This record gives sequence, structure tokens and C-alpha cells, in this order.
Amino acid sequence: MILSLLIFLPLIGALVVALLPDNQHIPFKWLTLGVAMAELLLSVVAYTQFDQQQAGYQLLEQADWITLPLGNLGVVSIDYLLGVDGISLPLVVLSSVILLIGVLSSWTIENRQKAYFSLYLLLSGTIMGCFVALDFFLFFLFFEFMLLPMYFLIGLWGGPRREYASIKFFLYTLLGSVLILLVMIGLYLSVMDPVSTAVMAGLATDAASVDQDLIRLVQAQLADMHISSSQIVHTFDLRYMADGGNYLPNAFLSGAGETTFWGIPARMIAFWAVFLGFAIKLPIVPLHTWLPDAHVEAPTPVSVVLAGVLLKIGGYGFIRIAWGLFPDGGAQYAQTLAGLGVLSIVYGGLNALAQNDLKKMIAYSSVSHMGFVLLGVASLTSEGINGAIYQMVSHGVLSAMLFLIVGVIYDRTHDRRIDSYRGLLQVMPHYAVLTAVAFFGSLGLPGFSGFVGELFTLMGGFQSLWLPGWLPSVAVSGIVLAAAYLLWSLQRMFFGPLWTRDGVESTLTDLNGRERLMLIPLGLLALLLGLLPNVLFNLSNATVAQWLEKFNV
Amino acid sequence: MLSDFGIILLFILAAFAFISLVLFGASFLRPDRPNVEKMSTYESGEEPVGNANVQFNIRFYVVALIFVLFDVELVFLFPWATVFGQKTLINETKGLWGWFSLAEMSIFVLTLALGLAYAWVKGYLSWVKPQQKIPTVDTKVPQSLYDQVNKKYQPKAKASQPASGTV
Amino acid sequence: MLPIILLSVFGIVLLFMGFLKSKVLLLPATLVFILAALATTFMDWGKTYLYFQNMLLTNNLAILFTTIVLLSAFMVVALSNSFIEDEQAQPAEYYALLLFSLVGAIMMISFENLIMLFVGVEILSVAMYVLAGSDKHSPRSNEAALKYFLMGAFATGIMLFGIALLYGATGTFVVSGIKSYVYTNAYGVSLLLYMGIILLLIGMLFKVSAAPFHFWTPDVYDGTPGLFTAFMSTVVKTAGFAALFRVLSVSFVGVYSFWWGTLAALTCLTLLIGNVTAVYQTSFKRMMAYSSISHAGYLLIGLTALGTQTKQALVFYSLAYSLATISAFGVLLVVSRQRQDTNGVNENFDAFNGLARQNPLLGFVMAVSMLSLAGIPLTAGFWGKFMIFTTAADKGIYWILVFAVLMSTVGIYYYFRVIIAMYFREGAAEPVKVAPFYRYVLIAATILTLVLGLAPGLLEGLV
Repeated sequence: MILSLLIFLPLIGALVVALLPDNQHIPFKWLTLGVAMAELLLSVVAYTQFDQQQAGYQLLEQADWITLPLGNLGVVSIDYLLGVDGISLPLVVLSSVILLIGVLSSWTIENRQKAYFSLYLLLSGTIMGCFVALDFFLFFLFFEFMLLPMYFLIGLWGGPRREYASIKFFLYTLLGSVLILLVMIGLYLSVMDPVSTAVMAGLATDAASVDQDLIRLVQAQLADMHISSSQIVHTFDLRYMADGGNYLPNAFLSGAGETTFWGIPARMIAFWAVFLGFAIKLPIVPLHTWLPDAHVEAPTPVSVVLAGVLLKIGGYGFIRIAWGLFPDGGAQYAQTLAGLGVLSIVYGGLNALAQNDLKKMIAYSSVSHMGFVLLGVASLTSEGINGAIYQMVSHGVLSAMLFLIVGVIYDRTHDRRIDSYRGLLQVMPHYAVLTAVAFFGSLGLPGFSGFVGELFTLMGGFQSLWLPGWLPSVAVSGIVLAAAYLLWSLQRMFFGPLWTRDGVESTLTDLNGRERLMLIPLGLLALLLGLLPNVLFNLSNATVAQWLEKFNV
Repeated sequence: MLSDFGIILLFILAAFAFISLVLFGASFLRPDRPNVEKMSTYESGEEPVGNANVQFNIRFYVVALIFVLFDVELVFLFPWATVFGQKTLINETKGLWGWFSLAEMSIFVLTLALGLAYAWVKGYLSWVKPQQKIPTVDTKVPQSLYDQVNKKYQPKAKASQPASGTV
Repeated sequence: MLPIILLSVFGIVLLFMGFLKSKVLLLPATLVFILAALATTFMDWGKTYLYFQNMLLTNNLAILFTTIVLLSAFMVVALSNSFIEDEQAQPAEYYALLLFSLVGAIMMISFENLIMLFVGVEILSVAMYVLAGSDKHSPRSNEAALKYFLMGAFATGIMLFGIALLYGATGTFVVSGIKSYVYTNAYGVSLLLYMGIILLLIGMLFKVSAAPFHFWTPDVYDGTPGLFTAFMSTVVKTAGFAALFRVLSVSFVGVYSFWWGTLAALTCLTLLIGNVTAVYQTSFKRMMAYSSISHAGYLLIGLTALGTQTKQALVFYSLAYSLATISAFGVLLVVSRQRQDTNGVNENFDAFNGLARQNPLLGFVMAVSMLSLAGIPLTAGFWGKFMIFTTAADKGIYWILVFAVLMSTVGIYYYFRVIIAMYFREGAAEPVKVAPFYRYVLIAATILTLVLGLAPGLLEGLV
């Protein structure tokens, strides 16, 4: 029930906002804030209800949603299936925090408030849906539908090149999601639902009586082709898709890999298709070019949500779907994949170093930091995966903070160039302190969350049986680069005598109450996560350990 | 063994052969003494004026279309008549067959007649006469003066000539 | 087969209603007539009947296609209130011609004898030729009518030749007769049959505007008055695909290996030409013409991967496509007429500038229909594409699937140009005026699109 509420509270909120008359006196922002706070509360409740020792999915909810007979393909049955485990729960909590901060940051939106907050709530609901959906189709629907509110948020409230940026964002991500759609159809045709199949094949009287042993029996019979194709019930359930025993023998994406294209097993092609789909979202070099454009044009709150939450769906998709459903692909191409991660780390870092636009610099630093996630996942070690999840949460907090910091200065002067400012410390001391916290956290200073995430992913990389030692060694240079571009910016903008390019020193006032309310909790959160990493690791460890079992061949 | 198509092909070939044979034969047998009158288009003596590719009045097409419709109807009526008149069928159904086929054909003819009525009411059949155009001349003499002169010298016996403003 | 007779009679009745002084009755009368035809269509539900000495066959599939066609026609007629206001127009004749063309469409959907297919195509086409040229004072409309007539006559000629060859090969015009010929001569099919299949396919592909027989489409769609373009791109296409499906799935399924490769290649060509060329259009109407070509491509995928679920995919896709296309043209009609530029009606993308601000409802209707055409989830168009893709995946034709998916990404680009214009650009200050009934029709189409997007299972078990 609680997960449904997480999804539907913002969706209903969006509907309510959309149906209310467009009136200046209606406090759309307070309404949205209320929903966002309720979301945070709900996710905290979900966190307390979650049993950290247990590895599997919890808080499960299931209902039939769409049943569509497709001739001899059987019945497409798409379930409304929700659940969280140690991989998705941290991201759910992170999302609710960032979305709440995003509402606060949206306080200055004056233009078309009704449409803005309606879309914002729609976006919140679909993001939550993405993280808690356990039916592949449901996940896909949320994943693709999420693009629409984002597209309008960038396109309507964005900067001068917003049309270009928004359609580029849309096309890139959509290309990724259609690749995922193709693989989803292929998987659907290759996977059976053991419970329903047992009932259909007459091995069980009803679904409730099917236990683990019976599932083993059904799988064994399936492998021996004792079950006729008319009795096989196909499924989109991610839990069943992750179990190799449920794959039909001779099916398109079956584990044995009989189907090949140009000598490459179809499974491997499918893995790469899914990987590309999520790599665009993460993003991974060379598929990252939409990200700087989108960030530069997006208004501050949308940037915050984009960097803080949306990119994490890419990483989540890696763990849950790309590696989760195709472990063989992940293992076989571990080196190439980690190499791509390292490339992102270094390339993103070098690009960030070359930027003069503060927002663009942070966008490229995101590319660099998300490279660590890929490196961690590709290492296929407990440290690496836990580190990747940790890095996602940490980057969510820190990048949100960084974009808010850009928003603060941009609100005052409408100028984001680093070399337009000098000596800001003198007029904006509190701002300088919080910027320093965000920058140091981001560059991986021990004591902040960024350090732990990067340390663990690198440790995973070094310990991995699949990766050569030089790969993580090169990745370490990403930390050096981060220190370089962040500290250099800090020095250029905040130290020395006060100067601005356009002579707008008088507009530079220190943080107001709302800005403090956004930045200080995020700073504290980064510090807390850095000092007590176990809060997160305890959450994810059990799940990750079970997740890694299929790689211990 | 010839297929059905083969027979058709044979027919076509035979038709060509027959026609060429007849034409060639005739050209050998007949006397050939051309003169100017014989070579003209119409032997009746009518002289052709201008190109045959002239634009017809659009009304011809409408009339032709309606004509074709009823022509086809006529073509359809002939086979119907043979079936309608079959004595055995009429006897077997105790006369019902006659009424039935008559009703069917009436519906068919009536539907077409309805179309004719539609075209009629729409005015596609009325052949509007061209309106007489009275030429005008740019002159300083007012029209009333001409009318006076015309009235004065109007022939009394033949008053059919219309009064005109021409000089 | 009551609807065929009813629609013919109603058409004649409408012609004579045109003599009445008042034109007010025409629109409601036409709507009632179409509804009556729709009601009688369902009298044969659940049964399979042969009519007129094996000339026509009705089954549930034919009834569903007929329903889509009649529903589209209903909406097009409902959006036609501008005729009444126009002094020059002759609404009675237009409505009568629409009803006559529906007769042709229903014949194309439910033919059992190839002669009936030909007669249906002709009845449908002749009416459409006239309607394409109905704007007598516009040179573009005249050009469209002439082009459509010449190309269409050429195509039906080819089709008739194909039918003749099929008769030569099999000795029958009956669809199931050809099927049994193919099955009994599985190893020695006459060459004439292959020639006949190819010519028949060419003729039909012409009608549904699939590449490389699409070249008439943009000019004709562009020149034809908007309302009839909507009719053309929904009714003609649906009927054409119903006919193609019938002839391919019944008669020629035995020689699938012969035609599927050709059809697959044409499918890819259609998708490529339709989608890529649509990107470069400045006129919304021309864009819709190319988009209709690309949708013919998606529908052809379903035929290429002919299987048991093809019919369901075709029905769903046609319905989704028709709903979205008609509501898009509905919005275009009011907008283009009320936001004229120096050249008369403005059918370019910039006519939509700022529409969402002034007319949120029209903006939303247009946005939903564009999203549905683009195949974004939670719209009917997504499920249509999903079913088509599943069909191809089940048949194992993955390369065509990958290509189609890439092309659908291209589609997003041009469909979103309208959304960009409506939502992101500044436009005329005064809102576009929309008549209430007009608005209800648009709302109904949009709601139907969304409902089918949320619950595609509604059509479950119908096919």
C-alpha cells in the first residue's frame, strides 16, 4: 500500500493541480510542497518497515492490470507489481529528499505556476514508479512516460536554447528506451511465469500452493520440454526474468544462446541494447552530449531533479535489468564496460576542467562521477556494487547541492561564467562556506559522502577478478581532475578582491532563508553519509550479496 | 492440346489475318483513280474548317454521361427480358416470378430515373440560350439621340429587327 | 449486408435533401444515417455469412474494420460544420459522396470475390476523386483531384490486370477458391499467379500509399480540403489494409515465402521515405501526408509478419491511427481557417504558435494525438505499435523491428514540432473559436485515445 501511495500521491496531486482553475490566489506551490513532504514521510516509513537483513523484495504489491490476448503468443499479462529491495530503497529515499528540495527551489517560478507544478508532480510520480516497479512493462511505462514532463519542464521554463535542448534530451533518451522496448519484447517471448505455468500445466491446483520445490520442478520440466507451448504463461515479471531457470529452451533469448546474429549470441546483443538504453540515461561517454545541453538550458529545480534523480535511473537500470537479467553479458564484457566507465570518468573530468560556464562544468562533473557507478557495477564485486549504489546516492545529494549553488548566483546576476566573479567570499560568506562544503564533498574529501562512494567503487575495481589493475588506476585520475576543476573554480570565484564583470556587486546578497533551508540539509546529509556510511551499506549489503550469487560460476 | 487462352490467341490471330487479307485483296481488285474531290474529308462536299481538336461545351459531356447511363441500362434490359420471359420459371412459381423480376427491374430503372430527375432539377439538362450582347461604342453622342433616330426610321412592316445602339 | 444497401439509399436521400432551402438538417441527418449503418453492421456479430452468391463475406473482423471506418466517417462528418456556413459549398453532394465512398470501403473490407474488391475500390476512389477537387476555386485542389484521378485510375488498372492474371492462373475470383488452388498446387504454382499477386499488391499498395507508390500522396493530401484529407487518410487506409489483409491472409498465405521478402523490403522503404521526408516539411498538412505514409509502413510490418495476431494488431493500430489523425486534422481545420496569412489558410507549423496558451483544450487534443501517432506510452498509438512489434518479434523478423524502432524515433522529431510550436512559441493573441459540438467530438476522440492507452484490454476478445 505504501509504495502505491508513493506513486499515486503525486499523480493525484498533478491531476488536482491540473484541474484547479488557473488562479493567482491558489497556492500551487504549497500544495506541491505538501505532497513532497508527504512523499518524504512515506519513504521514511517504507525505510522503517524494510527489513535490512533480508535480501529479497519487500513491501510487495500485486494486482492484475492489463491482459491482452495475442493469439498464439498467449496472453500479455502486465501486472501492477511493486516492491523494493536494498538496491531500490536507497534511491527511493534519495528521490523523495531531492524532489522535496526541488519544490523549495521552484519557489521562484512565477510564470505559469499551475502547469509547472502539475508537471513537476507528474514527474515525481513517474520517478517513484520507476524505482518501485518490478514488472518490466510497468517499469518501461514509467521510464518512458517520465520523458514527457521533463521535456515540457525544460522546454517551457528553460533558457534561450531550450527547444534544442529539450528535443535533444527527448530523442536521445527515447532512442535508448526503444532499444529497451525491443529487448523487453524479446525477453517476454523467452520467459515463463513458473507459478501460472504450474497451474496451467496441472502441476498445482492454484497459484497459492506453488512453493519453491514446485517451481524447481516446473523449471526442470520446461528444460526437458515436457510442457507444451500452449501451457506456458509468459511474463514481464522482473523476478522471474532474473531467474535463468525460467527461460524457455530454444527461445530467442534463452541462456544457452542458440540464436546468433553474425556469430554473436542474441543474448549478448540484447545485453548491449539494454546497456545502451541505460547508458544514455546515466550518461556514459560518448552518449552524454544531451546532458550538458539539458542542464545549461533547464531551470535550477529541473537541473536538480535531473542530476539528482533522473541519472540514477540509468544506474539502477544497470543493476536491476542490464546486469540483473543478463549476468553472462556483464561478466563477458566486464573489461569493455569498465573501460567505458573509466573513459567517462576521465573524459568528463577533462571536459569539466575546460568549462567556463559553472553549470556546464558541474554537468560534466556529473558525467565523470557517474562513470564511477559504471566502474563499480562492472567490477562485479560486493564493494563495487555497494559502492556504486552509494555513489549514486552521494552524487544525488551533492549534485543537487551544486546545481542549487549555481542557481543562487544565477538568480542574482543572470551570469554563470566562472571568470565573471572574484572575491565572492567577502560579500557572501555563508554562500562561500556551503559552496566549499559541496565542492569538497564532490571532489572526494574524506568525511564527505563522495569519498566513500569513489573509494568503494575503486576498491571494487582493484579487487575484481574480471578487471585488469590498470583500469581502476586510470580512474583514480578522475579524483585528481575533480580536485583540479573544483578547487580551481573555488579559488577563482571566491578568493581575492571583490570584482564582477558587469559591475553588479550590489546585487550580490548572501543566502536568504529559503536557500539556506535547501542547502544546509543537503550539506548535513552529505556529511552524515560520509561519517556513517553503514546507514546505507546495511541497507544494500544483503541484497547485493544475493545479487552477486549468479556471478559466482 | 490447346488451353483456353490458346484458343483466344488463335481467334485474335485469325481476326488480324482475315482483316489484312480482305483489305489487301480489295486494294488489288478495285480501280484506283483518285482526284481532289475524292480525297477530301467529306465526300458530301462539306469543307472542313480548322482542327478537329477543339474544346466542346462542357454540357455535351453531362448529356453524354447521362446518355451512356441509359444506354447501359438498355444493354442490361435485354438479358433481363430473356430471363423474365421464361415460361417454365413463371409456371413453376405460379406467376410470382414475373412479379418478382418486374419489381427488381423497376427498382433498377427507378433508381436511374431518380438520377435523371436529380440532374434535371439541378438544371444540367436545360440548355440555356446565349444572352444577346448589345455592343456599345465610346462616343459623345448620347444614346437617346440614336434611339430617336431609330424610332423615326423604324420600318413599319418588319419590326423584328431589334433596336441597337450601333451607329 | 444491410449497411451497404442502407448507405446507398441514404446517399440518394441526401442528394435530394440538398434541394431543401435549409441546409441545417443535412449534418444531423448524415450523422444519423451513419449511426444507423453502424447499428445494422452489428446484426451479423458473431456469425460468418456469405452474401450475394459468395460475393461478400461478413465476419467479426470485417465488422470491426467496418466499425472503424464508420466511426472515422462519423467523426469527420461531425467536424464538417464549416460547409453549412460556406456559401459556395454544396454540402448535400459532399455528404452523399462520403456515404457512397463508405459503401466502397465496406465492400473492400468484406469482399469474398475479387470482382467485389475491384468494384469497392472504384466506388471508394471515384467518390474521393470528386471530393479531392471539391474546392473548385483553388488551383491546388484541382491539381490534387486530377493527380489523384490519374494515379488512382492507373493503379486500379494494374490491380485489375492482376486480378485477371489470378483468374487465369486459378480459374476463380473467389478468395477462398484461390486459397485452395494454392494449397492443391503447392509444388507447381503457375507463374501467372505470381505475376497476379505482384500486380494486385502494387495496385493495393498504391491505394494505401506505401513506397515506392506513394508519390501522389503529399500533393493530393496537401491540395484536398482538410476535412477530406482526414477522411482519405483514415477511411481509405483502413479499408485498404483490411483488403490487403484479407487477400494475403486467405488467398496467398500458402505462398508466403514468395511475397514476404518483397513486402518486407517495401515496408522498410516506406518507413524510411515517410519518416525521413516528413522531417523536412514546413507545412503541417504535408507532414501529416508523409506521416500517413510512415504509418502505412508500420501497418505493413503486421502484414509482413503475417500470423494469428496480425489481425488484432491491424485493428488496434487502425483504430488508434484513425482517432489520432482525425483529431489532429480537426484541430488543423479550425486553426488554419482562423489564422490565415497572406496566402489564405495557413497550414504551416507556425499556425500553431502559442495555441496551447490561448486554447488549452485544442493544444491538449493536438498534443495527445501527436503523442499517440508518435507511440508514446499511455496512448492508444503505443499499444498499436507494441502489438505490431510483437507480431514481428514472434515471427522472428528482428531486423525489420530494429529498423522500425529507429524510424519511430525519427517520428518523434516531427510530431514534436507541433508540440514545440503550440507550447514553446509565442503566437497570436486572440484565441481560436471552436463550436461546441466540434469541441465534443475532439474531446471524445482524445478520451478514447487515452482510454485505449490505459486499458488496451477493452478490445479483448473482439477479434
